[in-house]
Amino acid sequence: MFTEPEVAQPWELWIRATELHHFIGQNGMWLWPLFQTLHYFGLSLLLGTVGLFDLRLLGLGKAVAPATLHKFIPLGVAGFILNLLTGIWFFFGFPEQYFYNPSFQLLLTFVGIAGINVAVFYLTDAFREVKLMPPGADAPLRAKIIAGTSLSAWVAVLICGRLITFYRPPFFH
Amino acid sequence: MTPVEQAFDWLEHTDLSMWVRGDSMLAFPAILTVHVLGTGFLAGTSSVIALRILGFARQVPLGLLAKFYPILWVALAGNVVSGTLLLIGYPYKAFTNPLFYVKLTLIALAIYLVVKIRNDVLRDPQNGKQREETSMWKRARFLAGLSLASWMGTIAAGRFLAYTFTWLRVGVPGGF
Repeated sequence: MFTEPEVAQPWELWIRATELHHFIGQNGMWLWPLFQTLHYFGLSLLLGTVGLFDLRLLGLGKAVAPATLHKFIPLGVAGFILNLLTGIWFFFGFPEQYFYNPSFQLLLTFVGIAGINVAVFYLTDAFREVKLMPPGADAPLRAKIIAGTSLSAWVAVLICGRLITFYRPPFFH
Repeated sequence: MTPVEQAFDWLEHTDLSMWVRGDSMLAFPAILTVHVLGTGFLAGTSSVIALRILGFARQVPLGLLAKFYPILWVALAGNVVSGTLLLIGYPYKAFTNPLFYVKLTLIALAIYLVVKIRNDVLRDPQNGKQREETSMWKRARFLAGLSLASWMGTIAAGRFLAYTFTWLRVGVPGGF
């Protein structure tokens, strides 16, 4: 965890000099909740696809083959990209409020864990095993561990995101 | 104070209301967290079903999607409980904001559509690909589009509620 220094750092001064930062400052009052709405919709898509897939591997709705549910994953990726873009928008609006916020730092950590987990799933045989599972089949232990990690990591990302507002560092600059 | 304000003032001074508003980092942030998790699964799963009907991932058999409705009901229960607690914490803040009633209406519409889609589309034994151009299917797509719009509207109303309230509590102005 890094805390806010007394003097604004070069990266923060750079962001504060961008057009985007000024635009958000001038139009923030109505655009901010609008972008939050998109951010919430993005996380909903992620939970409604990746979360559902994880729950299936963990044993819920076994009648559906995981390969079938996997067809929805591109929607989850779209939700993640939407949240990355809206997240960058928020960051440019109030850079130090996020950068020095322990809840935001933890959020990025969990996104990183989720990302590594995704890589492990697709780069090992885990995905191939899961793709071959017929309807009703129980997932192998390895796939269950990966699904459990995925679900926990994304839920942790949501919790950290929702708590950002309660861990705002004080304004210095 | 008018009788209505007195009633809200009484509610705001109950132990439960004060617990929700309490300074502890437990109650209020935890309730908000449950509310966003529930929203994610409820709006997310419903939107994915709607997008499937609208033409995304056509390989997924529609009938199978009904299997995931228990997730919707668990998420809805979580949101009703957490939403009620938030309402008990700040009753005057919500009830004095017209947008709150818009949100309630949108939720009712969204839930109605989710049930309608399950009964009329997902459980229809003839929901195969062959009739995608029929009038039945056009109606299914209309329901799906409306479902998607009502969930986005619900989320938008929820987010704007945090920025448009004029009273925080009885006698305490709020807003930005």
